[in-house]
Amino acid sequence: MVKSNADALGILFPNSYDSLIPELVTERSMASIPFGGRYRMVDFVLSSMVNCGIDNISLIVRRNYHSLMDHLGAGREWDLTRKNGGLNIVPPFAEKSVKVYNGRVEALASILEFLRSQKETYVVMADTNIAANFDFNALIDAHIKSGADVTVVYTEEEIPQSAKEAHGVGQDLYYTLKTDDGGRVTDMYLNSVEDGIQKFVMNYYVVNRELLIQQISEAYIRGYVYYERDIIAPHLDKMNVHAFKYDGYVARIGNLKSYFDENMKLLDDANLDALFDPSPIYTKIRDDNPTRYVGDAKAENVLVADGCVIEGEIENSILFRGVHVGKGAKVKNCVLMQDTEIGEGADIEYVITDKRVSIGAGKELKGADTHPMYIAKRQKV
Amino acid sequence: MAKEMIAMLLAGGQGSRLYALTQNLAKPAVPFGGKYRIIDFPLSNCVNSGIDTVGILTQYQPLVLNEYIGNGQPWDLDRLHGGVHVLPPYQQASGSDWYKGTANAIYQNISFIQRYDPKYVIILSGDQICKQDYSEFLKFHKEKNAEFSVAVMEVPWEEAPRFGLMVADEDDRITEFQEKPKNPKSNLASMGIYIFNWDILKKYLEEDEADPASENDFGGNIIPNLLRDNRRMYAYHFSGYWKDVGTISSLWEANMEVLDPEHSGINLFDDDWKVYSRNSGMTGHKVGKGGKIENSMITDGCRINGTVKHSILFAGVKVEEGAEVEDAVVMGGSIIHSGAVVKHCIVAENVEIGQNAVVGAMPADGEKGVATVGSGVSIGDGAKIGPNAMVKTNVKGGEEQW
Repeated sequence: MVKSNADALGILFPNSYDSLIPELVTERSMASIPFGGRYRMVDFVLSSMVNCGIDNISLIVRRNYHSLMDHLGAGREWDLTRKNGGLNIVPPFAEKSVKVYNGRVEALASILEFLRSQKETYVVMADTNIAANFDFNALIDAHIKSGADVTVVYTEEEIPQSAKEAHGVGQDLYYTLKTDDGGRVTDMYLNSVEDGIQKFVMNYYVVNRELLIQQISEAYIRGYVYYERDIIAPHLDKMNVHAFKYDGYVARIGNLKSYFDENMKLLDDANLDALFDPSPIYTKIRDDNPTRYVGDAKAENVLVADGCVIEGEIENSILFRGVHVGKGAKVKNCVLMQDTEIGEGADIEYVITDKRVSIGAGKELKGADTHPMYIAKRQKV
Repeated sequence: MAKEMIAMLLAGGQGSRLYALTQNLAKPAVPFGGKYRIIDFPLSNCVNSGIDTVGILTQYQPLVLNEYIGNGQPWDLDRLHGGVHVLPPYQQASGSDWYKGTANAIYQNISFIQRYDPKYVIILSGDQICKQDYSEFLKFHKEKNAEFSVAVMEVPWEEAPRFGLMVADEDDRITEFQEKPKNPKSNLASMGIYIFNWDILKKYLEEDEADPASENDFGGNIIPNLLRDNRRMYAYHFSGYWKDVGTISSLWEANMEVLDPEHSGINLFDDDWKVYSRNSGMTGHKVGKGGKIENSMITDGCRINGTVKHSILFAGVKVEEGAEVEDAVVMGGSIIHSGAVVKHCIVAENVEIGQNAVVGAMPADGEKGVATVGSGVSIGDGAKIGPNAMVKTNVKGGEEQW
């Protein structure tokens, strides 16, 4: 058989880090947070996997997954409607023994039978709080070459303030690494607050499938919860864990402020190209018509999706699909999600509107660059 | 399982009057309205009208069209039973032949239609921009207990001689058909959209095929034969937006009309009657710091750093700093380099227009030419393309073409 596919299956954890950004996940998961004008967070890692030939992908969901299921459907837009493999969404309570999980160990324990029955040699695991155009083939190749049991992906950066501030809450553990010259991980730190550039774990992992099954079966019996904390970190002497450095573009969602900033960063062409040029990012298709600029519309430094009607002035902003900006309205430094309505003459600055928010005519709303104002889904102002 | 009505879409037209735009693709595949192709209109009409089985008859340059249609999924036409089928001419035990005329194209696919055992067949044309509810048309056909119905538009009397005209009585029953007459007796122009009872259509197709003198054309042969036999033929009045985009100027005009839905009547922004298309998959469009957009339609993947006025830009068009685009239709993937001026023209897909080049001009002195640049053409820096030019090959820097 021609081997055009990667010898790996993918597992995503759509609810990881939900608690970092409570505003946006009241009705959704981290994975289905809208990002970059027409995407959801899950699109990036899902498309990256598909573009690398990983076409057997499971999402182990925990809560608020309706919007995610609605977004993914049968997975056609990501070319994941396959007879073998394809898209597999695992809800809690899918089996008698399966409950709402806490860490990765419990999540993986709920799909052990599935993992045993698959054919791929490797398993690639990832969270969805990062938008990146990631080359999983390079990761898998490095993993094979190094002969490691587990390969951990990291970026070199300072630990984001949002991570340090959130630390302590169960779901928001983060890790940093120390490695030897050969790239083998010698230490793994939990919720470090050290300053300066660190090897900051991206929560993308490759592991041999057979090994993962063994690790999870044992850990589950012992009541372990977290894969990194309870399985990898204590056993670095026995287990061969390698680090893989990623130096591509990363948009990491840590809190509402970083959500705003990461959206805004895409207004820089260099960033936009870095995120979208390496390989296509797929998303759900809405069949919107092209965006229309009518009358006295003005636009400067904006990223705008299809289906919008712009009759007012927009500047330094990200507009998702189907946004309407009324006559004389002014929108500056804003992130406007799908189908937001900005009334005539309204004036808004540093505002994040969730889906289907409507701002009345003539209303004035101002957040600050350090604290963008957030308006929840379907609210009318 | 029998279908009540299936559609047969004539998409084999060469569209020779679109010149540079149809060098490599059939007319129905010509891009339109920012993210559509002409064929999206009849296909979306079918789906929105509840027709789930469509045969697309192709002949001229079918590659782009075939790829575009694919399995029909963007139009929700990937069905277990029915769906969309591309039907090129094929070899049969009795021999093979190109489609000799519109009627012959359907005749050669009688066995396709027979598989669905429909009561009615609607014949559509793949080169019109029109949003029409075919279920209303069928309702009319049934109410009149017709054997054949044709959709007609009232046209101004002075333009009537350009059309095939239906002369009908007060009950809309057709009494006479005039093909481009000097002295029109009616101003009801045929839109080339017909509903037939399948048994009648089959009978007349077979009869027509047996006649060696026939040109195998619906307008020229089938309709006159139906009239001769005094069949129950009715004219269905349609009053919405309809445009045959068979020429460069009508294509340009129809695109411009999309920009003004309030007056032109062609509204692509109607959520209750969506026009579906295959998606570019590009990210949102970006307007840079020096970008300026007025009364235009911009779609995914565009990067605007110059000035765009009253224009339609398709997916992935780049307008660099200092470039000016006005009254223009710029198709997917084209790049307009800095300082270039692009006006009152159609620029096809993947064209590159060099720095400070000039393409087309705003109408002056009664001149209304629409400059046209064919797909993949590269226009060199500083080159000049006149308002009536039809460019099919590369133009070197500094050269002029009129």
